[in-house]
Amino acid sequence: MASPRRAAVVGANRIPFARSNGAYARASNQDMLTAALDGLVARFGLTEERMGEVVAGAVLKHSRDFNLTREAVLGSRLSAATPTYDVQQACGTGLEAAILISNKIALGQIEVGIAGGVDTTSDAPIAVNDDLREVLLEANRAKSTAGVVKALAGLRPGQLVPEIPANREPRTGMAMGEHAAITAAHWGIERTAQDELTALSHQNLAKAYDAGFFDDLMTPFLGLTKDNNLRGDSTVEKLGKLKPVFFPAGGDKAEATMTAGNSTPLTDGAATVLLASDEWAAERGLPVLAHLVDAETAAVDYVHGDEGLLMAPAYAVPRLLERNGLTLQDFDFYEIHEAFASTVLATLAAWESPQFCKERLGLDAPLGSIDRGKLNVHGSSLAAGHPFAATGARIVPTLAKTIHENGGGRGLISICAAGGQGVVAILEA
Amino acid sequence: MPTETLDSAPTLGALYGRALLTARSGGHTLPDRTLELVNVTIDPDAVADYAHVCGFRVGGELPITYPHMLAFPLQMRLMTDREFPLPAPGMVHLRNVITQQRPLAVGDPLVVRVHAERLVAHPKGAQVDLVSEVGLPDEEAVWHSRSTYFVRGAKAEEAAEAAPPEPDPHVGDRPHGVWTVPGDIGRRYAAVSGDVNPIHVNGLAAKAFGMPGMIAHGMWSKARVLAALAGRTDGAVTVDAVFRSPLRIPSKAFLYTAATKDGWDAALRSKKGKDHLLLTVRPA
Repeated sequence: MASPRRAAVVGANRIPFARSNGAYARASNQDMLTAALDGLVARFGLTEERMGEVVAGAVLKHSRDFNLTREAVLGSRLSAATPTYDVQQACGTGLEAAILISNKIALGQIEVGIAGGVDTTSDAPIAVNDDLREVLLEANRAKSTAGVVKALAGLRPGQLVPEIPANREPRTGMAMGEHAAITAAHWGIERTAQDELTALSHQNLAKAYDAGFFDDLMTPFLGLTKDNNLRGDSTVEKLGKLKPVFFPAGGDKAEATMTAGNSTPLTDGAATVLLASDEWAAERGLPVLAHLVDAETAAVDYVHGDEGLLMAPAYAVPRLLERNGLTLQDFDFYEIHEAFASTVLATLAAWESPQFCKERLGLDAPLGSIDRGKLNVHGSSLAAGHPFAATGARIVPTLAKTIHENGGGRGLISICAAGGQGVVAILEA
Repeated sequence: MPTETLDSAPTLGALYGRALLTARSGGHTLPDRTLELVNVTIDPDAVADYAHVCGFRVGGELPITYPHMLAFPLQMRLMTDREFPLPAPGMVHLRNVITQQRPLAVGDPLVVRVHAERLVAHPKGAQVDLVSEVGLPDEEAVWHSRSTYFVRGAKAEEAAEAAPPEPDPHVGDRPHGVWTVPGDIGRRYAAVSGDVNPIHVNGLAAKAFGMPGMIAHGMWSKARVLAALAGRTDGAVTVDAVFRSPLRIPSKAFLYTAATKDGWDAALRSKKGKDHLLLTVRPA
């Protein structure tokens, strides 16, 4: 069998990310995704062009947005003959969308596609509580007026308290930060190390903006021209003054190391990335920034097992490396999603641990350490913010452009996701 | 033991009323009869309501704790009888062991049998076992349950015998679940189970019975723990639970679980680490 061709990362567009209930408080997922798409259309002259597919998703989604991506495309300047579908893999959504598009390109089923993601925690879907929902559904099922009246007679004032979506794992009742706090305590990840990684993320992102790195990756939206979570003057000293906000459940408060600074804030935003065959790009005189070489997903049992919620990438990466005959050190750049600073550090610690690599990964030797100077060189989620589904579609083009500017090389992407999942991929040019 | 077949399930509200009103004459021996209900059909809506309150998924099989809903009215009927040697109000559920050969299905025409046995002295009172069986007509019961109830200050003639060893779960020190148990869980479980014991629905009544305040039903806690182990407790199993201390509501509760070589261990604890419930799941 001929090996499939590789999909090219051609370019991207995102809107700046905004802290929750701020600049984008009144914008919906559809508004933001459409804005990101239209910016991409403008940048690459795709007006009325029919894409092979547009694949995107959101984690927090209104039920009316069942066809979110299709609605965004219909409202964009792309050809209305562009088919779409929605995906949802929590924080892995954007990267998974890029993998799905790439796979169809690799198989020759499509020539070009757009992957994306969007999330808003400001315009979040609020649900009526289960008691009220049952009464209303019962009324809706009633076939007679009397039946409706009888069902509605079950209404009680207490049922009017709404359910606001919480960043909690349904099966454990713990917030993602509480899960991460357990992992941080398990791996002994120190506060200072987390604050150092955070300060570096802000400094790197600020430098990238100053260098104009994002000029062809972003279009302004609702008055923002850069991510408004960015604190370019962030320092370890300033971060060190923040009080811990996440505590390991059932553990010692003294173990608490995670603050609002070294954890990603709730964020609104959208990102898209243009993927195509080399031929499609060449015909239009468009660049190939990098190719998506391969990808892997993994999941861990954080419910009853003893693995951390956000540790799945630690399992996905070695499988990906083995399949591609690579070592962890064979990369020029690493993009490890900063859900929490401690998550990045725990993942690196796991790969350095002979015990973890032997007992959990079944490896004779640890994967080893990485050159930290190659990690998240243009900043990551701690500085930019993290609109869940958009993050993958932010990271793919960031890494592709980094490799391209480097004149070639290889990069690794690692994204952890709610539900104990992880999505990882290799880009190369 | 003779069997008395009832026409329909007794209404629990009425039984509680009777329990509170009846003067305690109380016999010295347990009633020598088995109460039976035949042709019990399951209302799928009632199972769905139960599943929603306890966290089970809604499906064609009855949750392993659901047959207790069918047996409990018969238990109450026995225990609120004037001749029953222990008073029903203020009874505390100490332990519940369920063995299920296979899950029962919604739609099975079920037979439910309940009798009382093992009335013995307890260091602080007396205790009794209510034994329940549920199955299909003309075959061996596939669901067996033994509930041990305790009454403080009550007397029993037989000395306390050595009880079968209690479940002894071995779990780690990191919780696998943090539950926010709402204050209305007693009312909601009462609505689906018919168990309207005032200690679960009214703070003043709970204090009147010596509780610190409103408490969750023990069988709700057990059901909720088993629901948390969904997908891991299939087949023929015995689930043994001891209720160590009342779970006040509203409150936070912490679930600890661990896989054993052939089953699961679980503990439900308070924030301060006090055991509410200890549970083991083992092959039957």
